[in-house]
Amino acid sequence: MTRVVRALVAAVGIAAFPFVLGACELGGLHPIFPNPVSPNGQDIFTTYLWISVPAIIIFIGVEAALLWVVLRYRRSRQPANYVPPQVHGNTTIEVVWTIIPLIIVLGIAGYSFNTLLKDFQPITNAQMEVTISGHQFGWDYDYENGVVVHQEGTLAGEVTPFVVPTNTLVKLRFRGTDVIHSWWVPAISGKTDAVPGYDNFSWLKIDQVGTWHGECAELCGVGHATMQINVQAMNQADFDSWMNQKKAALASPSPSK
Amino acid sequence: MATTALPRPKAYDDTFFKPISLWLTTTDHKLIGIMYMVTGVLSFVIGGIFALIVRLQLSQPNLKVVDPETYNQLISAHGVTMIFFFVTIFLTGIANYMVPIMVGARDMAFPRVNLLGFWLVPVSIILYYSGFFTGGALNAGWTGYAPLTEKAYNSHSLGVDFWALSIIVWAISGIMASTNFLTTIVALRAPGMRFSRLPLFVWAQISTSILLLVVGAPLAAAMILLEFDRQLGTQFFTTAGRPVLYQHLFWFFGHPEVYIMILPGFGMISEVIPVFARKPIFGYMSMVAALFGIVFLSMTVWAHHMFTVGMNVYVEGFFMLMTMLIAVPTGIKFFNWIATTWWGSVEFTVPMKFAFGFLATFLIGGLTGIYLASVPVDTQLHQSYYVVAHLHYVLFGGSVFTIMAGIYYWFPKITGRMLGHKLGEWNFWTLFIGFNGTFLIMHTLGLEGMPRRIATYANEAWAATNLIITLSSFLIAFSVALLLVNIVRSWAHGEIAGDDPWKANTLEWATSSPPPPYNFERVPPVRSFMPVRDLRESGELVESEPLPAPA
Repeated sequence: MTRVVRALVAAVGIAAFPFVLGACELGGLHPIFPNPVSPNGQDIFTTYLWISVPAIIIFIGVEAALLWVVLRYRRSRQPANYVPPQVHGNTTIEVVWTIIPLIIVLGIAGYSFNTLLKDFQPITNAQMEVTISGHQFGWDYDYENGVVVHQEGTLAGEVTPFVVPTNTLVKLRFRGTDVIHSWWVPAISGKTDAVPGYDNFSWLKIDQVGTWHGECAELCGVGHATMQINVQAMNQADFDSWMNQKKAALASPSPSK
Repeated sequence: MATTALPRPKAYDDTFFKPISLWLTTTDHKLIGIMYMVTGVLSFVIGGIFALIVRLQLSQPNLKVVDPETYNQLISAHGVTMIFFFVTIFLTGIANYMVPIMVGARDMAFPRVNLLGFWLVPVSIILYYSGFFTGGALNAGWTGYAPLTEKAYNSHSLGVDFWALSIIVWAISGIMASTNFLTTIVALRAPGMRFSRLPLFVWAQISTSILLLVVGAPLAAAMILLEFDRQLGTQFFTTAGRPVLYQHLFWFFGHPEVYIMILPGFGMISEVIPVFARKPIFGYMSMVAALFGIVFLSMTVWAHHMFTVGMNVYVEGFFMLMTMLIAVPTGIKFFNWIATTWWGSVEFTVPMKFAFGFLATFLIGGLTGIYLASVPVDTQLHQSYYVVAHLHYVLFGGSVFTIMAGIYYWFPKITGRMLGHKLGEWNFWTLFIGFNGTFLIMHTLGLEGMPRRIATYANEAWAATNLIITLSSFLIAFSVALLLVNIVRSWAHGEIAGDDPWKANTLEWATSSPPPPYNFERVPPVRSFMPVRDLRESGELVESEPLPAPA
């Protein structure tokens, strides 16, 4: 291979990253989460996008600098008797590239902390509360009125949905009964661990009717992959009739059960 | 490239083809270093085989290549092998070989402690794998979170017990090695080798040793408490105890451990880049300061692995801020490396290619680290394939690429022969493409909701991506096979290297290749942090004569 060809191959190799990312998008993959349907999930989504602005700029800047070194400062491109300047450092420029990243990360940390304060503290104004307890291998959803949805894990087909009304602020209380599990439905919000020994909190307020999937995100044993999650949001009327059915079933347990 | 074709030094045969009793009893830091490195490479191969089985299992939905219990043991063994038995051990080996020579010492400060510290490593490894013969090895991931590792949920085998014992032995070995490195560097430097003239690889080894000294004991403590729970019936981390305490103890070790695995790599890159750019390192003092900035910050960030356990938001905010601040010293190092090559006369030898491969890929690991440090975003990405991609960008794109640069850079010094150039080029490009093919698209799986450590999945939408990842992972395996072939071939038949094939800067290149017992006949004068370059420029550097065989 000639040197020029080799330089080109090197250039393509390093420049390939953004294109590979782009190709993923074209291929039907999404280099971003699904559109969130709960405000806390939407805030995570927005934070992700804002971090991407400096991240993409830094990515392109540094990779371009590396590429420039590969193309311009390789020995074959320099004059035959070239002796590089013996620079040992430059205090001004070193201070600059200390301060600028510092400002950028402080900005990202400040923005993230704001989202954290807004969405990640236990809420007190919930319209409804559900206790979610994880066990090997499934989830129980206790609506605090005697109704409990048992969502036993399986990979074959859909698991029983956890049903919530739309546009209702639901406080989620997490409990671990054996080992640590983690409840994660990416389209709603981030994950929350169900740890034995204390209660952990999150919330959701789903803005549309639909069904969303998730699964346990903390290795919990041989059935970990089967701990699927299904969350179904219904409008208030449908939810009420669903809840009434459940209550009726409680009052007169069917013989088959 | 090799300048002179000297006859193969006699010392070479004496070093490598001694009877086995010499290998078993030697206190020579170079032979111990080689044994560390060979152990590391073997572990790399074994851990890689585990990874390939895991990738086969995940290549399509609902496969049953292995059952879930075996799968959990494989992912645990992959993580433990790569982190504890490959990267850390290999880096200890290369430092064991190079640090005494680079500071102009005859050996490590405590040669017999060095011997004991090394032989604890095979003990640790054998203890871990013994678990497979007791009904199943560790099956809770390399982190081994309680209470899943507790007796109540894990009583079918002694795998967890053997793992805990293995890690305790490993921590003792690491503490021995760290003490030895620090003493050697402080006490045994050659005349003129002031701290301000230490090679950056040696500075990196100082910072790594300090980290391992601080965090090795808490790791052993976590394992001892876990054993108390399992064998004596205490309740430290059980369902009735405080499982999250285990996570605090583990990650107080676990996060600094990732810097234990990358700082020596930073050191190697800081050696390789100036040599092949023909310029001194840019900002020597800020490189040293950045190392210690990372050491300090890395001990204040452990709970960023625990943002979903339900901590107070102000505590989470603290750990987020400290984590993001690590980007600043890391950024300084990055910019200094690039500035070192700027206006240079950069020769893209194989080690330099790996150094640039490291810069191009480690950057991605650093940037995704910022996303993960942000608490809200982390609650989405945590425990997903995004994290798996991120950690491989820092551990593979970081540590493994720097190790490859180190192997190609120092192989001539260690064996007296060059690693094959052509195979080296193939090795680099296949590894670079295979690595990025495997892990770049893996980020998208995490964003789409695929959790890590699941034995299989039903979602058809993840099938194509997983198949590409599995195919690319076999390209990595092919590349590692090329490396092994190159090492074996070059060790026996490679081009003779001579003392200083790269026209390098640091003291190891002033002695013969391989160095004689006790390293130097006469330690050269040290007048700057590039002593060998000084000698070359003043005409004092002479190729050493091949040594006669010692009686």
